[in-house]
Amino acid sequence: MFAVGIDIGSTASKAAVITEDGVIASKAIVPIGTGTVGPARVFAEALDRAGIARSDVKWITATGYGRFSFEGINDQKSELSCHAKGISHLLPQVRTIIDIGGQDIKVMRINEKGTLVNFVMNDKCAAGTGRFLDTMAKVLDVSVMDLSGLSQRAEEPAEISSTCTVFAESEVISKLAGNVKLENIVAGIHKSVAKRVASLVQRCGIEQQVAMSGGVALNKGLVHSLEEEIHSRIYVHEDCQLAGALGAALYAWDHLQPA
Amino acid sequence: MSDIKALLAQFDEISGNPRKMLGEYLANGEKVIGCFPVYTPQPLVTAAGLVPIGLWGGQVNPQVSGKYSPIFTCSILHSCLEYGMSGAYQGLSAALMPILCDTFRGTSAAWRAGVKDIPLIVFIHPQNRKDPGALDYMIEEYKSVKTALEKIAGKEITNRALANALTLYNKRNAAMREFCALANEHLDLITPVARHHVMKAVTFLKPEKAVEMVGELNKALKDQPVCKWTGKKVILTGITAEPDDLLVSFTENKVAVVGDDLAQESRQYRTDYPSANSALESLALQWLEIRGCSLAHDDNNTTRGKMLVELAERTGADGVVLCMMRFCDIEEYDQPYVIKMLQEAGLLAFSVDIDQSTTDSGQARTKIQAFAEN
Ligand code: SF4
Repeated sequence: MFAVGIDIGSTASKAAVITEDGVIASKAIVPIGTGTVGPARVFAEALDRAGIARSDVKWITATGYGRFSFEGINDQKSELSCHAKGISHLLPQVRTIIDIGGQDIKVMRINEKGTLVNFVMNDKCAAGTGRFLDTMAKVLDVSVMDLSGLSQRAEEPAEISSTCTVFAESEVISKLAGNVKLENIVAGIHKSVAKRVASLVQRCGIEQQVAMSGGVALNKGLVHSLEEEIHSRIYVHEDCQLAGALGAALYAWDHLQPA
Repeated sequence: MSDIKALLAQFDEISGNPRKMLGEYLANGEKVIGCFPVYTPQPLVTAAGLVPIGLWGGQVNPQVSGKYSPIFTCSILHSCLEYGMSGAYQGLSAALMPILCDTFRGTSAAWRAGVKDIPLIVFIHPQNRKDPGALDYMIEEYKSVKTALEKIAGKEITNRALANALTLYNKRNAAMREFCALANEHLDLITPVARHHVMKAVTFLKPEKAVEMVGELNKALKDQPVCKWTGKKVILTGITAEPDDLLVSFTENKVAVVGDDLAQESRQYRTDYPSANSALESLALQWLEIRGCSLAHDDNNTTRGKMLVELAERTGADGVVLCMMRFCDIEEYDQPYVIKMLQEAGLLAFSVDIDQSTTDSGQARTKIQAFAEN
């Protein structure tokens, strides 16, 4: 019998399968999110990789922005709880988690059991979110995957003062028109995101160790900027993008345990 | 039990249809005064034989008010102006507006420019409430409101009439406080939405009617067995906790609201009119006695936090939700102090964004769910 966690975000779908013994059997990521075929695909892929059939799955827990819309789930959990549980499993020493999602930023403080003790989320504003980075990459005509490498080659980050996505976009365009080096612009964008995220981190309060979850954590340039802003090392697990799905899978696994 | 359901349905109806209430008052030949939130001297309105009605705006996507109101106006004043300009408040003899923040100041000018048929009676609460001149200042402000209301009513507001009105409002406050206490013993019946509807409906009712209706509800609640609530409990703080969708999320996650510090709710009912040398002085003194409210300056920035911690201890709340009215700088400034104190007291505190112009409560739902799960 297997437990599955599926994290349906606004820009990507992730899934994790856990065996009866609590071992991770498979993981999958599809770069399209809620309202697309992404969730169904990632679910099928995760099952496929684990070499199991749908009938082998005993419990499915969904999380993420699209958690209410996936058919066939047994229950759903908030992404805050799932990221907390997922990261606590991957990096047990962590007490502060930063998650930059497609359309929101979450900062969570957890205890040694992975239970949330405090959390802060940005409110309905794209500033500093994954969407912000996507928009900027588009303006610069580069892939969002290249942002990290570009910013690490910067000599001096350009000053991007607007936190608003729309205004920052025009600011970036005027930097391009002013022949500011692409690398410096990207580093400036990271710095502006980092500043925005750091203010939320301050609101939530920092307790060591600090980790980042979510796909944006793979952007080393941004993580570095954020480390500078919050004056702390940030741990990034290789499965950071799967933290939410893994947390959901762990919740699902709890249901398989005898009461 | 059926009594309670029927009574709650009445409160639902009133809180959702202030325009209908206004229509009924007008059809009765009564003159109605719109009262902007909060701390408008409603006893003066009642003493003048006029009907006070709360103006809380509503869930509307502003169309015409954009002519005068910038986009960063809080949704209460934005939607009030929208309703004023689009004729939804037609029939009001005047609107009373306290200038409690900068947004009010701008909106007072916008109202005068955009709402020609409803005269605005503006007054200012002194924010330096410790100054010996504060009481005199408040009395003078209320005197000017009194004169304006007397003109509309066509009669003088006597000291006796005002004193009677103050007694009535104190009775209403007591009934509301009793309701809040009883609601906590019946969290199965008084859901977050039901609680909110009772609190809001009262702002559209004449005080004597409020005393009667809330009294009846309280009596019916007392007859019910006490409910042992096993879910989580929260306190709400801020300006308002709307729309209903937000409150439904609490119910969906088995979270009960056991107390509030909302401007639209308990803040209005927790400070009585004290005894004084004259009725007008009592009316003014109330403003000086208000504590722990973001709209009334306090040199001590721990008052609100302390109050919330005490309320949480008293009600057994597990957490506090800061209902942050979008673009309300006054509440924003309070937030860090309040959150810090709540966290130091071991309470989980988080904020949700309140904006009447949108129906999307997705983020708030996630936060409430996370609170319930941990
Ligand atoms: S205090 Fe806040 S909510 Fe009230 S009118 Fe001013 S800005 Fe709006």
